[in-house]
Amino acid sequence: MSNISLILKQFSRSVLLIAGFAILGFSARAQGDAAKGEGIFKANCTACHKLDQKMTGPALGPVITADTDDKWLTKWIQNNKALIAAGDAKAVKVYNDNQQGNMTVFATLSDGDVANVLAYVRTEYKAMQEKAKAAPATAAAADSGPSNLVIFGLIAVIVIAFIVILLLNKVIGTLERLLLNKKGLAVEEVEVDDKAAARKAEFKKLLKNKKLVGFFIVCAVICGGSWQWVTLWNTNVHTGYQPVQPIKFPHDLHAGVMKIECQYCHAGAFKSKNATIPSLNVCMNCHKSVDRRMDASAPSTEIAKIYTALGYDPATTKYDSTKAKPVQWIRIHNLPDLAYFNHSQHTKVGGLKCQTCHGPVETMQEVYQYSPLTMKWCIQCHKRTEVNYKGNAYYDNMIQVHDKIKRGEKVTAAALGGIECGKCHY
Amino acid sequence: MLAMNKFKILGAAVITVTVSLFVTSCKDKRSTGWEYAPNMYEHIAYDPDQKNPNFKDGKTAQLPPKGTTPVGFVRFDYPNGNEGYEKASAEVKNMMAITDKNLADGKALFITFCAPCHGAEGQGDGEVTKHGFPPPPSYSKGNSSRGGAMKDLTDGKIYHTITYGVNAMGSYASQLNPDERWKVVMYVHHLQTL
Repeated sequence: MSNISLILKQFSRSVLLIAGFAILGFSARAQGDAAKGEGIFKANCTACHKLDQKMTGPALGPVITADTDDKWLTKWIQNNKALIAAGDAKAVKVYNDNQQGNMTVFATLSDGDVANVLAYVRTEYKAMQEKAKAAPATAAAADSGPSNLVIFGLIAVIVIAFIVILLLNKVIGTLERLLLNKKGLAVEEVEVDDKAAARKAEFKKLLKNKKLVGFFIVCAVICGGSWQWVTLWNTNVHTGYQPVQPIKFPHDLHAGVMKIECQYCHAGAFKSKNATIPSLNVCMNCHKSVDRRMDASAPSTEIAKIYTALGYDPATTKYDSTKAKPVQWIRIHNLPDLAYFNHSQHTKVGGLKCQTCHGPVETMQEVYQYSPLTMKWCIQCHKRTEVNYKGNAYYDNMIQVHDKIKRGEKVTAAALGGIECGKCHY
Repeated sequence: MLAMNKFKILGAAVITVTVSLFVTSCKDKRSTGWEYAPNMYEHIAYDPDQKNPNFKDGKTAQLPPKGTTPVGFVRFDYPNGNEGYEKASAEVKNMMAITDKNLADGKALFITFCAPCHGAEGQGDGEVTKHGFPPPPSYSKGNSSRGGAMKDLTDGKIYHTITYGVNAMGSYASQLNPDERWKVVMYVHHLQTL
């Protein structure tokens, strides 16, 4: 018996030893290269590849872990176009499997460089997988803010406690009355009635006091009047309006941190009446490659709403237009039909910044209406703004016409733009 | 007695005004508040970004019918893909005059629409790449994924890429009209020499 266990012990020890050496040797080789490979990978590959996700190119982690033919991989990375042109069956298959997308030729990478990159991809992907296995438990633990249920539960407990206190008070009251009744002290109730009657009489007396009544009426009129004034003043004025949008688009992140200009998305602001709400293809210019915040471990649910609205599947990077459903943004700045406003006139000709009217949007996580958009507000600005007439053909023409008038020459309506289409057909 | 009353009335008036101001000023930010004649705010005419029950897909903004060319647009009949790209490279030339004004316009458009990724100098170091967005290659030093150096990109190739996008870059056809695209092409040629 002891013999067998001894043999087993020795056997397992030697197996462990060999395995240990093998792992040590392998990881030592891989890690030594991986550190160098990381720099090369980040400088050359990350524009198109991620390790665990399909981006422009396929997810490299699983591909390179599964494919152990390093010689072929090296050839492919150094000059994939030559391989495809030469008709290499595997290369052509990869090319066609990825919608004939092109990969940059990296002729400058040496065999050693490529080996380093491969080592980096394999070790890093392995580490990522192990991390992913360990992550779910911690992620679940981290997400433990006070839920709605807890808050409602607390409110319910407080309400119930309040009701119990009220009931107990009533019970105590009746018990006390019973006790007093037993002692034959019912006389007190008559006294109470007297007190009530006295109070009533006093109240009637007060009602007859004209000064007091007048005082209260004046108070009510002042109160109601000022309420009415403020209400009328704010009717149709939407300053501060901040509706909940279907997608929580953070302007502070896009325009503030990323410094993307307003008209990147609102491309109409400089060339049309409307600033335009961007269509979702504009979102996808970036969000094809970005599905989460940089430090987040899971994809953002808000960005996922873009994908759902487009019928886009991030796993296959394919669109299904039959599943598409437009996002219904809620309009914040809304001029009534009686007023005509043109964005390009103000931004292009007037040279106004967007922030002049829309406020510090680059700091707003959730956009609200900054300006009142009332007629008074428009007129105030129009009264104060100095016109820059230099280099503006419209004013050049105006000055010419004025000179004509001064010289006593004939001036037609056409000279002042009277036959422009928009004068009649607007 | 009367003076006392006056004082009281004045005090009460001040309190009521402040209280009513306070009450009416704390309004719900999720609501537009009271509206008079709201039919002037809810247009009868449809805005391009509104829903519209008259169309099958419920949108007001419809695509132009197939095969039509909007006024002021020049057709670009080179399909998306490698063949169209090479064909455009061989056949399409920028017909717009290289003037200071066009170059300045091109620069302004480039700064707005391209610089977030490509960087103001076209080196592929725009602001978003500093926050983890995959950086594009430099116009002057990088290599194109479709072969050749970025500095050798032709008019047709750049125009084709702006129109259809490539790799991580999306199509800019909805943001830039053909004239604007040519101005950007002009400016990119300048960046290729940096």
